[in-house]
Amino acid sequence: MDYLYSYLILSEIYVLLGLSTNLLVGVVGIFSVSQAAVFGVGAYIVGDFLLSGTLSFLPAVAVAAVACIALNVLITLPSLRVAGDYFVVTSFGIQLLASATFTNWTWGTGGANGLPGVPPPDLFGMQIASTRGILAVSTVAAVLGCLAFWLILRAPFGRLLKAIREDELAVAAAGKGVLRAKVSAAALAGAFAGVAGGVYATYLSFIDPTSFDLDASILLLTMVVVGGARTLWGSVLGPFLLLALPQLLTLIAIPTTYAATMQQLVYGALLIAFALFRPQGLLGERL
Amino acid sequence: MLLLQLLANGIVTGSALGIVAVSFALIYSTTRVLHVAHAGVFTLGGYLAWSLVRAGVPDLLALGGAMAGCVVLGAAIQQFLYAPLERRGAAQLVVLIASLGMLEVIQNVLAAVYSPDILQFPSAWAGRVFGLGGLRLTGAQLATVGVDFAAFGWVMWFAHGTLLGKRIRAVAANPFLAEITRLEPRRVHVLVMAIASALVCLPGVLGPLDYGLQPYGGVTPLLTATIAMIAGGIGSLAGAFFLAIAIVVLQNLSLLVMPGEWSIGVTFAIFIVFMLFRPRGLFASG
Repeated sequence: MDYLYSYLILSEIYVLLGLSTNLLVGVVGIFSVSQAAVFGVGAYIVGDFLLSGTLSFLPAVAVAAVACIALNVLITLPSLRVAGDYFVVTSFGIQLLASATFTNWTWGTGGANGLPGVPPPDLFGMQIASTRGILAVSTVAAVLGCLAFWLILRAPFGRLLKAIREDELAVAAAGKGVLRAKVSAAALAGAFAGVAGGVYATYLSFIDPTSFDLDASILLLTMVVVGGARTLWGSVLGPFLLLALPQLLTLIAIPTTYAATMQQLVYGALLIAFALFRPQGLLGERL
Repeated sequence: MLLLQLLANGIVTGSALGIVAVSFALIYSTTRVLHVAHAGVFTLGGYLAWSLVRAGVPDLLALGGAMAGCVVLGAAIQQFLYAPLERRGAAQLVVLIASLGMLEVIQNVLAAVYSPDILQFPSAWAGRVFGLGGLRLTGAQLATVGVDFAAFGWVMWFAHGTLLGKRIRAVAANPFLAEITRLEPRRVHVLVMAIASALVCLPGVLGPLDYGLQPYGGVTPLLTATIAMIAGGIGSLAGAFFLAIAIVVLQNLSLLVMPGEWSIGVTFAIFIVFMLFRPRGLFASG
């Protein structure tokens, strides 16, 4: 039972991250391999605040969300000014730089050893220590995230984003603020990643740089590509499917030392297969 | 003296990354694909050479064998991945995703076959230290400088002095015109990928002679090389080569003031400066 709970909690956290990546890759249409870096910043901020006891869970998550909004806007701004391929370089660079920071800035991140003993989340003075309680927290967070994503894509703002993807020049010519719309989408993506980081840190109570490296970013991209770009259901399906994969791999007996390698291998194969044969993913729209 | 040694090390590693940058620029300017999986081809070269050397093949032959392997992989990626995507009119984003997937597959197949740990070449000459004045360089480092500068000379001659090189530059300059004048851009694309994959194999083998092989070791060099290509100006092969040397020299000199873990930060800072002040690069053509 605990096992199922853990799968559900992690999937829900990754739904938030999937929405975040989907906003950037699917909706705004920029290639990003640095969403795990933003996720990590959120996780470390919440972890640091809760460990030092200066803030309780909700304010800490709020600070993390604001920091991640700022960070994500800062990261994506260049992509909105220079050609698409340059941003790929920016994105790889940010991810590698973030990994270097997570691993080497011992004071803030615990370095390669990570931050152990992050306390469980607390709401209004009550500690939520049980797995079931945390499942409730992650469910609320994921449902709120999905609701926000759904409402935004339906609102005039969402239609504006869609129009930008179809024909950016025409939208600009119609007098709409293209840059502002893209920055807003990036900001929202940052908020999702920050909240996801906070829930992740308090649920696992231990965070280290391997959860936020390039491979993690590629996993997020795979979730969006497999689930489907630009739709809510795509971002929900992707995480639930891909997080089940490690379990499937344990069914075919693979030595545990090769488990991570095999997982990444499958992600890579999925990326190629979907790019070639189904670029819209399982439940998405044309990428 | 330390300064001079760091400078020398920078030029050695820089010339290796210079060839990565030149080969990448060759692909990018012709096919317009940001070939992320090039990092995988780079890594594969080293592992192939390692296997051949372990099997008792002489070092030079092993290098040749590894280059052949890289040529096959590079041409296959163009023929069976990028070309079909191009025919279907796939968005740039989708091609990138496919390329990233390819990189993941190559890296993890290597990790599964050879283990994710660092492997050292058994070649004894590579580790021998030579004193030049006050400088100390290993055999592998000397081979790297020699081979990579020679390879750069060859590329410049090839691109500007041969008919095939001119054909490639014609396709890069105007694919549409190349199509209607029967220069066959598609075949040229496969050819370019083959040549660039053979080139990238050189630093892919010579670098690890010095510091060992690692299946995930290709991403950072490729990122640095790409930054060099952009900073040098897209379309300028010499720009890519010399900017790569300049960046790596700066990276090495930065070791005087900060620890090596942050050298990726130095590279990235250079990129940001270029993005802000000269996004088209130093020697952009056209």
